[in-house]
Amino acid sequence: MSGKDDDGRDGGYGPHGPGTDGLGAGKPDVGGLDLDGPEGLDGPDGLGPPDDGTARPAPPPPARRSPLSRIGWQRLTLLPALLILLLLATWLWFQQAHLDTISTNAISGGQVTKALWQHIQLTVISTFFVLIIAIPLGVLLTRRAFRKATPIAMTIANMGQATPAIGLLALLVIWLGTGTKAALIGIIVYAVLPVLANTIAGLKANDPTLVEAARGIGMSPLGVLGRVELPLAVPLILAGVRTALVLNVGTATLATFGGGGGLGVLITTGITNQRMPVLILGAVLTISLALLVDWLASLAEVLLRPRGLEVEA
Amino acid sequence: MNFWEYLGTRHQQLLVDAYQHASAVFQCMVVATLIGVVVGVVTYRTAWAANLATLTTSTILTMPSLALIGLLIPVVGLGVAPTVIALTLYGLLPITRNAIVGLRGVDPALVDAARGIGMSRTMRLLRIELPLAWPPILTGIRVATQMLMGIAAIAAYASGPGLGNEIFRGLASLGSKNALNQVLAGTLGIIVLALLFDAAYVLIGRLTIPRGIRD
Repeated sequence: MSGKDDDGRDGGYGPHGPGTDGLGAGKPDVGGLDLDGPEGLDGPDGLGPPDDGTARPAPPPPARRSPLSRIGWQRLTLLPALLILLLLATWLWFQQAHLDTISTNAISGGQVTKALWQHIQLTVISTFFVLIIAIPLGVLLTRRAFRKATPIAMTIANMGQATPAIGLLALLVIWLGTGTKAALIGIIVYAVLPVLANTIAGLKANDPTLVEAARGIGMSPLGVLGRVELPLAVPLILAGVRTALVLNVGTATLATFGGGGGLGVLITTGITNQRMPVLILGAVLTISLALLVDWLASLAEVLLRPRGLEVEA
Repeated sequence: MNFWEYLGTRHQQLLVDAYQHASAVFQCMVVATLIGVVVGVVTYRTAWAANLATLTTSTILTMPSLALIGLLIPVVGLGVAPTVIALTLYGLLPITRNAIVGLRGVDPALVDAARGIGMSRTMRLLRIELPLAWPPILTGIRVATQMLMGIAAIAAYASGPGLGNEIFRGLASLGSKNALNQVLAGTLGIIVLALLFDAAYVLIGRLTIPRGIRD
């Protein structure tokens, strides 16, 4: 085990190499933090194929491939097909389901579309803010001048992980009043920490000799950062983006408890009024959205990874 | 009523909630650990099976907890049942994956040596592979526990047990004087529980990780 894995908490956040990151990065409520314990022992070859571990043959050799062919057809089609089936099944079931006045009221007048749209907005806006806060902060904390502050930041990040999202949101609602603002801030605060941890881990995992070499050929500190360090850390940063997106889709369901809207509204209406069709519709839409977002982010992870870092089969 | 007075007058209710919270998380963790390790042991030698196990558990983890709990309600009703099922499902991923990765990380030469001195398959698994894979599995358990603490709070909305009730009571009475106290008590209680569990895992690690592979 490498040094930083020795107490598990750190280990939780540490770098996960491109070999396995897709397996676990980007899960709600955990962040990328669960991946790493074993990797300290095992190295990135832990679980064979990159990304989400769909049972598929070993990727073809990386030579002469267009960006699209980096993604196997199975991963392009499998999840969307499943989602379409799921949504179709829900729709068919909904056609014959008995809807009374309360259920009809809860879903009529474009409320479902509105909730879905609110949910997407919450997710996208919060993710944007998470990224513009966490990534520069991560870069800053790994610069020489601030390096002493890194352990402190990591400790705070780990402590924050123990805070329940619903408690954080409730406190913000009491402080700022109900509405979208409290919900957005809660979602952002909750996701900043894992992404920050991912960015720091990614920049720290870079081979120091490469940075040394770049400095040796006379590159400025900014040049080293922009042309060597950041590109090398792209896979981990992308894993952080995926983490943030999926976390935010999940936390956004809680926005309803602070009057922030989103698909959580359908779920809670269904639960409190005991109207199962409304509940199921909300839950299925939320789950589909989460899986879709995770799938899109996993595609982005593959497409945007620097070509030099592609995992050789 | 300030926060300390609130704790003083409500400590019995709070202790019951905290106990139920901890007990729900603990019991689900025991079940999740058993299932996760068994799944790991069964699948780690076959690439497709291990991938399938990881893919399934990570898909479950991608689903927002409120939505999964919501889907369970029509099937099993409100209360303890959806809470327990959801917590166990969410606990599976970190444990299963770490079990698979940990078991695969065991040096094949060691397993070979064990076979050479005549150990059976079961003996090799129990005395060589699992002890060596235990540290990552324990890490998975710690990560899963911390996550379940927060999910258990959300499960209170589906009439589940625990400190989440305190938070939802506060949200339901927004504007009243006690709302902040209730939310604060619930949130801080969960953080304290999470830290206590974590300390317990450090201790368990000290006691159970074989001396030869401690660092």
